[in-house]
Amino acid sequence: MLRGVDLELPPGALVRVEGRNGGGKSTLLRIVAGIDTPSEGRITGRPRRAAYVPERFPAALPFTATAYLTHMGRVHGLGRARAADRAAHWLERFGAAAYAQTPLAELSKGSSQKVAAAQALLADPGLLVLDEAWTGLDTAARAELDRAVVERTAAGGTVVFVDHDPARLAGVADAHHRVEGTALVPVREPAGAAAYVRIEAAGAPGAELPPGLTAAPAPGGGLLLTVPAARSDAVLRELLTASAPWHIRSVEELP
Amino acid sequence: MTGLLRYQCALLLRSQRWIAPLLLYAAFLAAGVRPGDPLLDSLGFAAAGLVPVTAWLVRVCVTNEPAAARDCAAAAVGPVRVHAAALLTALGGALLAGAAGTAAVLLIGDSGRAEHVDPGDAALAGVLAALACALTGAAVGALCSRPLLRSTGVAVLAGGLGSLLAWGIAGSPARSAVTALVEGSRAQAVTLPVAAFAGALALACGAGAVACLVSARRG
Repeated sequence: MLRGVDLELPPGALVRVEGRNGGGKSTLLRIVAGIDTPSEGRITGRPRRAAYVPERFPAALPFTATAYLTHMGRVHGLGRARAADRAAHWLERFGAAAYAQTPLAELSKGSSQKVAAAQALLADPGLLVLDEAWTGLDTAARAELDRAVVERTAAGGTVVFVDHDPARLAGVADAHHRVEGTALVPVREPAGAAAYVRIEAAGAPGAELPPGLTAAPAPGGGLLLTVPAARSDAVLRELLTASAPWHIRSVEELP
Repeated sequence: MTGLLRYQCALLLRSQRWIAPLLLYAAFLAAGVRPGDPLLDSLGFAAAGLVPVTAWLVRVCVTNEPAAARDCAAAAVGPVRVHAAALLTALGGALLAGAAGTAAVLLIGDSGRAEHVDPGDAALAGVLAALACALTGAAVGALCSRPLLRSTGVAVLAGGLGSLLAWGIAGSPARSAVTALVEGSRAQAVTLPVAAFAGALALACGAGAVACLVSARRG
């Protein structure tokens, strides 16, 4: 049970929650994801599209992986063709394309978990909640989920996660909280743990930055973006693949 | 909501858990309706059968998804809609069964010799009674399954008992609808069970709303 929790989750933020087993992390995540309602207090400003990945996804559902993901895509508000496309895309990214037509009930634990991760990423959720979502994934899929999380934040989505591995997304998380007793307390990152990269970019006149990115004006007309090193690749990808692509003038590591 | 309903319907169909309640309904009709039986009386019987069948279908639909999958859907659209979609899917399935049962009774029942009523009026009364019974059954099912009753044993017992009460206690819309038809058959006059239908609708909406709101509070 938790009391007096006050947590702000800005767009583009990657937030880690930790705490002992049975301490209420999962409850907190379920409330953040909108699955449960708090008995007191409220949640405001939750993005329209939220998605949740549970720790275990023993989906005894009478569907194939593709059929389930297509249904979930449509539940998330995608059209039929787009839902099927995104299902194929995410199964491919998690290395589960071979299981696309396998009934969910026949999937191994790891493959089920890939389907669980895929359903959450289908519709580019504005809020992604991961409750030890990496558990059971193979190394490649874990790395892919890390990449997907960083991409999501670079695109302006908020990601909240719990993972037993302290190295998970280390240095990338913007905020870090620990459940202690019935309270949620902020955890300060050790100084110097996170390196930053400065990106100087120039866009067409009036071009807007992708959502979730902030920048300062650079001398000479461009923009300067300071981002955690671990996130720089995703930010660069976001800038280069924007509908009006940005020109990257320089990328430098900050001391 | 359309995507969610489509998902719930596919889940119900592919899970094959609809077969048992529908077999119960078919057996109920086979046991109680014979070709040439008085039409209104048979329509009342066919409607009454929908109470436990709908309650059972509701239980099937709200327990069809593993908790983890339900959580994923709840994060996407909210737990209230997830539960509402399950309830509506069950009601839809029961109404399809009720439509088939009512149509079968209309084909084989006899309105002329025994009852001297207009078959059109009798059909309308039968449809209203079927709707009233399905809605009452849906209310029983919604109140007697997850999230209000979690244990399987308690939920099944409560659902069975609830259906019996819906048949038996005064004031139950299902009972008044069926009574209207059976008494109409004896009196050789059709009474449309409009009030029973309205009462059942209100009851089902109330019970459904309670179940949906509780599902948001505790999965």
